[in-house]
Amino acid sequence: MERIGVFICECGPNIKEALNVEEIAKYASSLAHVAFVKSHTLLCAEAGKALLKKEIIERNLSRVVIAACSPKEHESTFMKIAEEAGLNPYLVQIANIREHCAWVISDKVIATEKAKVIIRTAVSRVLLHQPIVNKEIDCTPDALVVGAGVAGIEAALVLAQKGRKVYLVEKSPNIGGRVVRYEDVFPKFECATCMLDPKLDEILHKNNIHVFTYSVVDEVLGYFGNFIIKIKKKARSVSTETCLGCGACFEACPVNVKNRYNENLNERKAIYIPFVGALPNVAVIDRKNCLHFRNKATENTEEKKCEICKANCPFGAINFDDQDEIIEIKVGSVVLATGFDSFIANKIPRSGYGKFENIYTGLEFERILSSTGPTGGEVILKNGESPKSAAIIHCVGSRSKKFHNYCSGVCCTYSLTFAHIIKKKSPNTEVFNFYSDFSLAGKGYHELYDKALEDGVNLIRTAGPDAVEVNEDAGSLVVKYKDAAGKESKLAVDMVILSTAIEPSEDATSISQLFDITLGSDGFFTEEHDKLAPVSTTTGGIFIAGCCQGPKDIQSSVAQGAAAAGKILSCLVPGEKLKLEATIAEIDEKLCSGCKICIGLCPYKAIYFDKEKKVAAINDILCKGCGICSAACPSGAVKARHFTSCEITAEIKEIMK
Amino acid sequence: MNNFEPRIVAFLCSWCSYAGADKAGSSRKTYPQNINIIRVMCSGRVDPQFVLEAFKEGADGVLILGCHPGDCHYKEGNYNILRRYHFLKKVLMELGIEEGRFKLDWVSSTEDDKFVTIVSEMVKNVKSLGPLRNEALI
Ligand code: FES
Repeated sequence: MERIGVFICECGPNIKEALNVEEIAKYASSLAHVAFVKSHTLLCAEAGKALLKKEIIERNLSRVVIAACSPKEHESTFMKIAEEAGLNPYLVQIANIREHCAWVISDKVIATEKAKVIIRTAVSRVLLHQPIVNKEIDCTPDALVVGAGVAGIEAALVLAQKGRKVYLVEKSPNIGGRVVRYEDVFPKFECATCMLDPKLDEILHKNNIHVFTYSVVDEVLGYFGNFIIKIKKKARSVSTETCLGCGACFEACPVNVKNRYNENLNERKAIYIPFVGALPNVAVIDRKNCLHFRNKATENTEEKKCEICKANCPFGAINFDDQDEIIEIKVGSVVLATGFDSFIANKIPRSGYGKFENIYTGLEFERILSSTGPTGGEVILKNGESPKSAAIIHCVGSRSKKFHNYCSGVCCTYSLTFAHIIKKKSPNTEVFNFYSDFSLAGKGYHELYDKALEDGVNLIRTAGPDAVEVNEDAGSLVVKYKDAAGKESKLAVDMVILSTAIEPSEDATSISQLFDITLGSDGFFTEEHDKLAPVSTTTGGIFIAGCCQGPKDIQSSVAQGAAAAGKILSCLVPGEKLKLEATIAEIDEKLCSGCKICIGLCPYKAIYFDKEKKVAAINDILCKGCGICSAACPSGAVKARHFTSCEITAEIKEIMK
Repeated sequence: MNNFEPRIVAFLCSWCSYAGADKAGSSRKTYPQNINIIRVMCSGRVDPQFVLEAFKEGADGVLILGCHPGDCHYKEGNYNILRRYHFLKKVLMELGIEEGRFKLDWVSSTEDDKFVTIVSEMVKNVKSLGPLRNEALI
């Protein structure tokens, strides 16, 4: 025999004054199976909670209805009390008589009647509730981090705590991402490489961080707590153990190719280290361009295959027989920190990029400023002279209907940083910044604006991101622009720097498919909630950090890396099990006809087809309990726990009584 | 006819829409009491059976509220209900249940005003349609 207890909270004056609590209590006592009714001034206060617990035990109640505020406020509070009193927490139902009744109906009589319906409905529902036990599963606390830029590095270092293994996968031959290629970064113009070096060193030497450079993730199986991941380690053709990075090989190599690590501004060899100071300091053979492999490809066996690098390596580190390797790892969670790409400026023909000389994108100019870059850090023109004037054009590809609607957030700051550095390196160069609006939010960022004025930089406000055009006239670059007042002018300059937008990396789509996360309309990875859950995704165990989630500066990328790691540290603890969602779906094998409709509808790919039994089956770990499957099942075989069709139908019937 | 107080069953998804209705409460906005709220985890949980059941039991109207497209807590549940809604509306019309008695809309957790407007308009519309004669369903 069920014994239901109905507890009515007066919520101070909030419910008490709007409803006739006494009348409601009397009504509740008359309902079938209700064994006990009690009202209290404030059930969520300590005294109220103590009373609730005491009465559940003493009155031997089997189910409880709390008529009070919204379940969003205190459902979990009351479920916890029920549990402490020895009841299964799911045998509690909240009747929301505050937000949905007392506060929205001004007539006390009508409100009281309404509260009766709400309570009656809750009573009939709670009778059908079934106890639910939270399942727990074994999981691994180890983690995978994809992308070894600032965000990924921070995540890996924070994660590499007691007993955890971290696998760090980076597609390029070196770690450090974009930032390691910058020289002076805003707002304090500190040297990025110097700032990052100790961190990179720690990454490479920490015992429990396994770094895979020149590698990609090939396959992802499993789910939160237990992912099985295949990493493809591409053949480097140089032993990471024996190569010391002395450079003897590339000095001897006869092949020259464009060096994309210097934004194609200079050349490297077919065997190379991307830039001076790249870590790990180990060479790599670019097999597409290496003569040894190219000859092999054409099977020209007559001609002796090139082995010059091998002959010149003093350590025997070159291995032409190196093969791609697949490594399988088991991790509980993943941090994706796969970065961004820079907008390709020649998509905008009026930018002049690609047509005329001495026009650079933001990333190219970063390399020009770098002491390890193509000019050794000197701001010079193609002809070796220093420019008498330079134009920095903001918003190239950002805030444009045609390209990216969004503001890239960092271009104003780096454009002013460029202006300052040019002025510092060559004070006689006239600098013109063409902007239409300034976005300088961030600690110490607005000060860059003042600094530009002090330095004598010319800040020219244009009519909009599309109001600037670069042409060539008599061997000189000419910037044609419409200013904010609508006046058209021309200005001849020696050098142009385009502050190009941050855009999703070219592999963002394939990575999102691999890890089953969603992309926003802008092409960046979508977070679970833009404010409250900015580093998690709707796929359990997959976290995102840095520019793969949207344009951001170094500080925010690092903060997100640490945040993602923190999330993982707190939910996957060595030696502890992973608690699963309790209110998930369940399939009645006897009723399931095997039509597979639910499988196609599940947003979490949590339903699979059991080929032997010829029925659908739920993966408890992936299911989040939305109930879409249950609504769609033509044979009523899927039960959405705690929101079963019986429970909801009972509510409908009771409302309409 | 003037005294007719319709009874409307409203299915609200637990995340945005239920919170939107809660916000109407916390900001003390009054609205017609004809609405009876049933919480579901997602608007995509609303089985066509529930809608038919409500009309069969004597509801004069059924309202479904979910998160805005793109905001569903479960990625795409609201798109599911949207597809189902258009189909179901046709079926209901075949059964003689007027269009105005069955409504789907989106309410976010901050849209207390929108919630109140939707509810008030629905009640007004159903009032003007009068009580549902639901022989077709019985
Ligand atoms: S959770 Fe609100 S519509 Fe899906």
